[in-house]
Amino acid sequence: MKRNCMTLLLLLLSIALLLPALSGTAEDEATMLTIYEGPKTMSSSSVASVSVNGYDLFVYDVMVNHEHIWNANTQPTRTPMTYFDFEGKVQIKISMPGLGKDVTSAKVIPLSYGIEPKIENGVVTFCIDEPGQYTVIFNDSVNKALHIFANPLETDVPDFNDPNVFYIGPGEWVMDAIALADNQTLYISGGAVVHSIISVANAKNVRICGRGIIDGSDYPAWNQAGSYARVPIDLNHSKDVSVEGIIIANSNCWNVNSYSSKNVTIDNVKVISGRQNGDGFTFQSCTDHVVTNCFARTWDDSLVLKNYSGSTKGITFRNIQIWTDLAQSMEIGYETDKGWTLDPEISDVLFEDITVLYNFHKPVISIHNSDDAYVHDIVYRNIVVENAMMQGDNGFNKELIEMTLQNSQWSTVKDEFGSIDNVLIDGLTVYNTANGKVPASRFSGHNEKHRITNVAMRNVNILGNPIQDLKTMKVSLNDYCDAITIE
Amino acid sequence: MMMKKLLACIAALILLSVPCMGICETDHEIPTIVTIVRAPDQEKAERPPCFPDPTENYIPMPETENYAHGKKVVSGVHADVYVSKNVNDGKTDTYWESKGLPAEMLIELGDTYSISTVGVFLNPASIWEPRQQEIAVWVSTDGIEYMEVAPAFLYQFDPATGNRIRIDIETVEAAFVKVIFTKNTATRTLGAQAAEICVY
Repeated sequence: MKRNCMTLLLLLLSIALLLPALSGTAEDEATMLTIYEGPKTMSSSSVASVSVNGYDLFVYDVMVNHEHIWNANTQPTRTPMTYFDFEGKVQIKISMPGLGKDVTSAKVIPLSYGIEPKIENGVVTFCIDEPGQYTVIFNDSVNKALHIFANPLETDVPDFNDPNVFYIGPGEWVMDAIALADNQTLYISGGAVVHSIISVANAKNVRICGRGIIDGSDYPAWNQAGSYARVPIDLNHSKDVSVEGIIIANSNCWNVNSYSSKNVTIDNVKVISGRQNGDGFTFQSCTDHVVTNCFARTWDDSLVLKNYSGSTKGITFRNIQIWTDLAQSMEIGYETDKGWTLDPEISDVLFEDITVLYNFHKPVISIHNSDDAYVHDIVYRNIVVENAMMQGDNGFNKELIEMTLQNSQWSTVKDEFGSIDNVLIDGLTVYNTANGKVPASRFSGHNEKHRITNVAMRNVNILGNPIQDLKTMKVSLNDYCDAITIE
Repeated sequence: MMMKKLLACIAALILLSVPCMGICETDHEIPTIVTIVRAPDQEKAERPPCFPDPTENYIPMPETENYAHGKKVVSGVHADVYVSKNVNDGKTDTYWESKGLPAEMLIELGDTYSISTVGVFLNPASIWEPRQQEIAVWVSTDGIEYMEVAPAFLYQFDPATGNRIRIDIETVEAAFVKVIFTKNTATRTLGAQAAEICVY
């Protein structure tokens, strides 16, 4: 018996000693976490306190806008936002002293994460083990929703000794504008808040990366007297450009703009805007753009394609989260030939794995071909709309899907019209609507010659019900539409 | 034999429990290797050190009175909202842009002055990329008879030097200054551009 006890002790001791070897070293198991102090010229939010694995994060209050109808003099409000980088597992703890009431419920979205937060004494706790963008809704209200950008650890950090690399470190920085030329890289470190704009004009092989914030709060809204648009990321006639990892907040206009540019990749870029014409990712007459793993909470269209000086072709939006406080979530148009070009087209466009957290104003999916372009080969695949709350404008534009060939206030070519052909919506799920009913959708061609044709919808599920006929989908068609189908 | 089985079970249980260590649904502390990126001491927002202040490289202008400031200006059709009065409002973030070339900007000084320098400015922000504009200067004392004092020349505008050019001329009496633009190499416009025109 004594020998057996000794054997047991020895075995346990051996196992204890072997455990690190069997399961890896402590370092191998540990979560790798990078957090960023905020600038010492700024204060962390008094609305929200957030910690990750016990480490306090700096929380920014950024502009958003709960006014769900256009107002040229709108005044944004603010909501908390924070970020960090990690690999492994983290426990996030949140308290909301600035909410104005006790936290009694909390929801983490997108719902696909399947997170059920705990609430104890007003402190919300949950865990994550994959990088991504997480939004926390308190007490079933969008007021003071907390945006958490949990980035992957940085890789491929540029060589700061390279003379073509501009390094902006942590801290608060101001500069009128930053213009990047051929072969240049701009790195904005986490912890940096840069009051500036970045222009890439007539340039190639340019990279913008980092974890920091481009902030436009110094400037009045662009449409106010004496102000003008200061576009945070403005690509113009450029090619081979990448934008990675950064956050854009408080812009005084639209946010990530690309005009007549080619071969652009945008990854893990987060946009939050609350001011006039605060479109998220807006491309005009561009080709071969790929936008992945991004976030756009905007006070105008979140993802938008237009033609200003030629055609648009080869655009992919993949794995994007959208929160649209104003206008449309995924818009093609209205300007499809602002440059009055010959034979304009918008084609080969893919929206894939898009989660619309909230869509408050106009349609979620829209093609408004209000000039004379040929819009074709457009695919929407696996679109999840958590809250389709379209209030519309004076009773109009309340649809879930809207495709039209009519003139609008944004038309340039008013006496010629285009067409829409070969559109596929494969996988459209709507969890919640404003009135608990299926929202309408609308297709409106222009005349016998200018029609909407071959729009196929499949795998549509609204409010938990598979939709397999146009009537249940509440689709309205005028006489100039052909082969609009649902299965 | 029983003891061996028992030991095997204990060992298995211990081994099975390894992957659960640190799972965050529990209240266990998660082993964390943290990197804290520190912020520098600052009292206000500063210019990023990687972009040195270019103002010391700006082309200097005379420190004498700018006779053009706020005076009457006349030009042809302007582009969009870029009206002629922007050209002498004292601000380089507003500008005049003509609708096409050639274009003339006439500045009525309101009196006759001895002038020796004309400065033409664009917005110094770096997003106003380098460009060249071909510019000539003519002057008049009566607004009828004009004399060329600086022939057309292709001037280089560069934000690195303030996006400004300086035209020095033989000192001359002038009540009217006409600045004539005949070329602009900027890619985004077909017209002349000037944020400020100063006469010293």
